[in-house]
Amino acid sequence: MNCETCQELIHDLIDGSITQRDEFTLNTHLKECLDCESVRQDLASIVGFCRTQRGQYEAPPNEQAMWLRIRNVIEAELPSRVAATPEPPRSFLGRLMGRTWELSLPQLATSTVAIVLLVSLVTVVGLRRWGGYGPSAVPQVEASNVNDRIWQRRQVIDYWNQRVELNKARWSPEMRETFDRNMEVIDQAVANSLDELKRNPHDEISEQMLNESLNDKLALLKEFSDL
Amino acid sequence: MKTEFLTRRARFLAVGALLALTSLSFNVAAQQQLSRRYPAGKNVRIELKNISGTITVESWNKNEIRLTATIESKKAQVLPKQTDQSLVVDVMSDNRGRGDVGDINFKLQVPVNSYVDLETRTGNINVANIRSDLVRAHVSTEGDIILTNIVASKVVAQNVMGDIFFDGEFSSGGNYEFKSNKGNITIRIPANSDFHFVASSPARRIAMNDFWNNNLKSHDGRKYEGYVGGGGSSLSIINYSGQITFLRR
Repeated sequence: MNCETCQELIHDLIDGSITQRDEFTLNTHLKECLDCESVRQDLASIVGFCRTQRGQYEAPPNEQAMWLRIRNVIEAELPSRVAATPEPPRSFLGRLMGRTWELSLPQLATSTVAIVLLVSLVTVVGLRRWGGYGPSAVPQVEASNVNDRIWQRRQVIDYWNQRVELNKARWSPEMRETFDRNMEVIDQAVANSLDELKRNPHDEISEQMLNESLNDKLALLKEFSDL
Repeated sequence: MKTEFLTRRARFLAVGALLALTSLSFNVAAQQQLSRRYPAGKNVRIELKNISGTITVESWNKNEIRLTATIESKKAQVLPKQTDQSLVVDVMSDNRGRGDVGDINFKLQVPVNSYVDLETRTGNINVANIRSDLVRAHVSTEGDIILTNIVASKVVAQNVMGDIFFDGEFSSGGNYEFKSNKGNITIRIPANSDFHFVASSPARRIAMNDFWNNNLKSHDGRKYEGYVGGGGSSLSIINYSGQITFLRR
């Protein structure tokens, strides 16, 4: 499974409309791909928050009376001549802009959520339809995503590698040999997956294997960096 | 002259033999043996983090845990900690900053329903006759993992180099994960097992044997996925360069 398919399935997972088979495949991918797992966590927390907060905004007691009191205070402070001045005829836009928008707290919150959802939806639709510079550009975008992910992972690996190299001098010769031998095996798996991806950049299995072996490499480096 | 030469040679041999015997006896003396017994309730959790050495866990018919450890180096220490529902042995943290502490070989006899969570940096792990919710065996580098007669709802076995052998039953709704970089993975389960699975082997070495059916999907021989029986439990296997083999129990 590639990351794009995964992220589409994440929505189904959160909605609870995912099939058992897709869920299994998705979970397998999420274990391997930290980026997708992070998307899933973010989305789950946003949806969870919206669900828990739905209808729970506390309205002030006697809301109408409160707004009337506020209006009275404002009107009392305005000079009486303002009210006496005849209002010149205004355009539709002018009337719209000049209108007083009185929103309660729940209305304000609902409007904010609606705006956020609308903007997200428009962005997603826009990116899908026009963001890729035409259908022929989609594979290039996917390929660059894979490269980006590999590059990001490699940055983290480089950091841990440096830590390991600093500590290596303290290790016994046996431990150094064990580490090098096992790292060589993992590096071989990484190299094989990269070779396969060079031949076929859209090969999901090689992408999955690459993710797994980079995770293995990171885990081994982290473990040995403490020694 | 000849006699003198022979005497010298005999002396030399005698001194050599004496030195060899002394070094052997020092080695034996340097090894420590630790043996402890702990009371255990039902579903006790055994958590062991070793650095190097063999770990053997097997069930016995007693409500207690027996821990035996053979410690190679004198500077190594093993400090088991028991709480209400668990026994924790963390060799890594007990020996932090002590340098190379050599091999520590563990043998644990535990109640059959124990949760077993084992880790080691190097060395073999053997677990036998456990019926519980968890059996986890993780070798960070090299070592074989042999799980025999296991019935658990979650089983995880992972190493970089070494074979993994699982012999047992899958529980309905259970979750099973096996992963090796260089070694063979063998799954020996009853013929009527129900599971859905994904098995990946870039080396194209997957033998489904009796568990093959026409609904299974093969991706270029490098990955197999699908349902066997009703698909009640979930199985994931990854092996980069070794063989994945399914066997009927």
